[in-house]
Amino acid sequence: MASRAVQQGFKQVKPILSTNHHEAKRRVLNLYKAWYRQIPYVVKDFDVPISVKMGREKVREMFNKNKHITDIRTIDLLVIKGQMELVETAQIWKQRPHIMKYFEDTVNERPADFLGKFYDGHDP
Amino acid sequence: MLRLWPLRQVVSSAGARFIPACQKSTAPEPAPELVEVFVNDKQVFVEPGTTVLQACAVAGIEIPRFCYHERLSIAGNCRMCLVEVERSAKPIASCAMPVMKGMKVKTDSPVTKKAREGVMEFLLMNHPLDCPICDQGGECDLQDQSMNFGSDKSRFTDIAFTGKRAVEDKNVGPLVKTIMTRCIHCTRCIRFASEVAGVEDLGTTGRGNEMQVGTYVEKMLQSELSGNVIDLCPVGALTSKPYAFTARPWETRKIESIDVMDALGSNIVVSMRTNEVMRVLPRVNEDINEEWISDKTRFAYDGLKRQRLTTPFLKDANGQLMQTDWESAFLAIARKLQGVEGSQMAAVAGGLVDAEALTSLKDLMNRLGCETLCTEEIFPMDGSGTDFRSNYLMNTTIAGVEEADVVLFIGTNPRFEAPVFNARVRKSWIHNDLKVAMIGAPVDLTYEYEHLGETVDVIEKLAGGNHPFCKVLESAKRPMVVMGSSCLQRSDGSALHFMVSTLANRVKAASGADAEWRVLNVLHRVASQVAALDLGYSAGVSGVREAKPQMLFLLGADEGAITRSDLADGAFVVYQGHHGDQGAQMADVILPGAAYTEKDATYVNTEGRAQLTRQAVTPPGMARNDWKVLRALSELLGVTLPYDKLQEVRQRMAEISPTLVRVGEIEEANFFKQAIEATKAGKTSLGKEPLVPPQQVLKDFYMTDSITRASPTMAKCVQAATEAESSVH
Amino acid sequence: MMFSSVGRSLLTVARQQVRSLHRTTPACSDKLFVHRDSPENNPDTPFKFTPQNLKTCDVIIKNYPEGHEAAAVIPILDLAQRQHGWLPISAMHAVADLLKMPRMRVYEVATFYTMFNREPVGKYFVQICTTTPCMLGGVGSDVILDAIKENLGIGCGQTTGDGQFTLLEVECLGACVNAPMVQINDDYFEDLTVNDMHKILNDIKAGKKPKPGPQSGQDHRFACEPKGGLTSLNTPPTGPGFACRADL
Repeated sequence: MASRAVQQGFKQVKPILSTNHHEAKRRVLNLYKAWYRQIPYVVKDFDVPISVKMGREKVREMFNKNKHITDIRTIDLLVIKGQMELVETAQIWKQRPHIMKYFEDTVNERPADFLGKFYDGHDP
Repeated sequence: MLRLWPLRQVVSSAGARFIPACQKSTAPEPAPELVEVFVNDKQVFVEPGTTVLQACAVAGIEIPRFCYHERLSIAGNCRMCLVEVERSAKPIASCAMPVMKGMKVKTDSPVTKKAREGVMEFLLMNHPLDCPICDQGGECDLQDQSMNFGSDKSRFTDIAFTGKRAVEDKNVGPLVKTIMTRCIHCTRCIRFASEVAGVEDLGTTGRGNEMQVGTYVEKMLQSELSGNVIDLCPVGALTSKPYAFTARPWETRKIESIDVMDALGSNIVVSMRTNEVMRVLPRVNEDINEEWISDKTRFAYDGLKRQRLTTPFLKDANGQLMQTDWESAFLAIARKLQGVEGSQMAAVAGGLVDAEALTSLKDLMNRLGCETLCTEEIFPMDGSGTDFRSNYLMNTTIAGVEEADVVLFIGTNPRFEAPVFNARVRKSWIHNDLKVAMIGAPVDLTYEYEHLGETVDVIEKLAGGNHPFCKVLESAKRPMVVMGSSCLQRSDGSALHFMVSTLANRVKAASGADAEWRVLNVLHRVASQVAALDLGYSAGVSGVREAKPQMLFLLGADEGAITRSDLADGAFVVYQGHHGDQGAQMADVILPGAAYTEKDATYVNTEGRAQLTRQAVTPPGMARNDWKVLRALSELLGVTLPYDKLQEVRQRMAEISPTLVRVGEIEEANFFKQAIEATKAGKTSLGKEPLVPPQQVLKDFYMTDSITRASPTMAKCVQAATEAESSVH
Repeated sequence: MMFSSVGRSLLTVARQQVRSLHRTTPACSDKLFVHRDSPENNPDTPFKFTPQNLKTCDVIIKNYPEGHEAAAVIPILDLAQRQHGWLPISAMHAVADLLKMPRMRVYEVATFYTMFNREPVGKYFVQICTTTPCMLGGVGSDVILDAIKENLGIGCGQTTGDGQFTLLEVECLGACVNAPMVQINDDYFEDLTVNDMHKILNDIKAGKKPKPGPQSGQDHRFACEPKGGLTSLNTPPTGPGFACRADL
């Protein structure tokens, strides 16, 4: 009884694509597979100094970056964005630098403490 | 043209006295009967004596105008404000025509439109078509009004044959550029010079088509307010020389800010483009500067680009200052401070420092155990000293001078120490028959005053009630005594302050001023002083001299009040500020700070009114906002200040003194009696030297602080003013 | 040739359809309305009111109410000009100091009125009127002007080498009935002929003082009466009761 009351308290959200976790997971896997298959063509089409293995590792890394996300709507949105990226890559709407952007060296994170920000020169 | 000065002469010579309007206000007067006027069939009621133009403004209709200006006398010579009035044979010049009962004004009728078109056609016939190379372009009244009210086609055809009228340009000094061919003879500049600035150097020569506006002889416009004619000029005839050909108004971002060149805190607009201050314009604030600013305020901005400290500096083993980074500068300070007692430290704050930095510095030094925090500017500390706010504020307020009937200046030259305030006094002198007297070196204030003497004994006599001028003070309804902070720099400053407060209290008791009227006023010279005193800084560096500290922190202190000889041998000096001036010269470590256009900061003016500057540009190079430097330093010294954000600093300021965060407001201070009773104990004797304000003639006005000393424009002004002194004209 | 004339006439037609505001060159003064220091005209040019003129100044100033001394600026500037022959800037300064008014306000007045000569003029300042009535009346001002030029050897606006004469062409001096006329200093010489003009100038050169007023142009008339005698008011005035009823 109580649990229902709590549920009623939450606003029912409209799903973007998936209605449950299972479905969302399937979409993620599908996207991953599509990327996995696309990588050899990407390497060839863009003539980037990246091996197929490195490319696939990068794809895995990018997917793992969002591993912690559990909200279905967020997952769906990320999948949609991933698909858009894929299309842009496959259609060669992107250019080489856009691809190489994924392989950028690690950037320093902006400092969060006062002194760090002071030395860095941006407004705390 | 309406000239005000002959009238004044009549009044003074005939011995008659007009009762100023403000004096009458004490007794309730029946409201004058309002006059009914119809503007485009809309009924409005205005007071009798208002002009048609003002009545139209009440009805919400703006009449185009060139020569009319609210703060100047009415000339009525541009004819742009012609409107049709029913049952009038011709269109009338609305700026000069008083309203009459039942007048029916038509501002949109064919007659009015045709009249405007005709006036515009005549104006443009003798106006060059050089808008593309004119500095007024984009903010030109003539451009705007010819778009709005002019004809859509030109009948001017003979430009190739005879040419347009051409007038020789005048040289009126290093600030105002003249392109006199563009002049439309509105005479606003002439009226400003003679009415507001009080220098009768501008006028019209010749007649008809040959008429010119100028000085007739080649002569610098010797006024501290001369820059305002640039704003007044409706066309591009008078433009700013330093700003010439640098930017267009639509390219710049305008940031509303506060001026720090004097203690008035004039409201300004900083025009910025590509992280550079392009110019400074006034912003209307009826309580402070109306719409004028001094030349120093307007033109010293190029000093913000020169002599700047852009990186921290550290003295190396050879005693040479070398560029370094923030961390090593901080570490060097931290290393030096190890083992230095708090009592061996001292801090001195200069005249351009904001309240946030002052708060941070005080908190930092107090945490280190140091209590010797001073300002460079001296203010008497004996007796009640700075304990009562009313002791060091301009209590009557700047606008209050318009209600006053007698002003007594003591040891100050308001013309150069507070030019906009002086313009206000002049305005009152003209319109309200204000009586002005002065003790101190005789200087030209642009208006007449009674010179009571140069020495202090005159004040003594006045305070004792045995001076002929006492009668005038006693008969006054709203007297003001204005003491310049420059005269308090003397060794007998505290005795002087006591004497003047005694005088003020006596005057207040003797005159019929009501309880709320405050007589004593202190006119400060530097922008930071009131905030520093509010925050509990001790005024003057005598404390530092006594302490002979091992370590000295200079926060923008550039006037050279402290030298190495006042410190212990091998003392360690840290300078924080924005210009490489006197303070930086004696420093071991230099920390670059931000100037007033580069930070969001609070300044308290001489009235005690807190106002905010807004950041227009970023500090150059590695320079940082001042309070942040102190906050960062505190962390390395192990006494981290408890604020990371501007809001948190302001909260801390509010804890110390709530007045510091009440932006734009004046907290009334009225503790004169208590103050004087508390002072009675600490009384020293008065000196015999005459009271001589440091800025006496125009050339002394331009360079007074680190920003103006770095400004090439101000240097040119000093040169021009020096030359003008020896000029035969 | 033909094309060009046709083109020109077309242009004329086209131009006539546009009403131009400016058809003629605007007449400009040859005077400068700014001051430039020169050896003879600078703030150090010696000028001091004579004691007698100072007394006159006092009388002039007293004509105006107290506090309005500045109103006396025009007569006093004129006095200064009479004393010095012309009006150097130092004289304007002296006037400004005398009336306690700003110098600029004096400059304004002195530049506004064309009868203040801000540049040196000769001892005899010859102003010839060439406005329409003078140009048409009598022998016409053109020949008179030529005669003066010939006699003095100078053009308009110039001064003779000995500094005796300055010639200036001016607009109407208000003696149209006695055209043509010249004004030499304060004297009007009217009804001129070429011979008269030469005689007047030669007399002046010889140090004599020619008689001002109408000259021989209209048979030495007394003033401005008609040449052939009066055409009206030529009978003695009638006595009282003229044309009235007998019983009155």
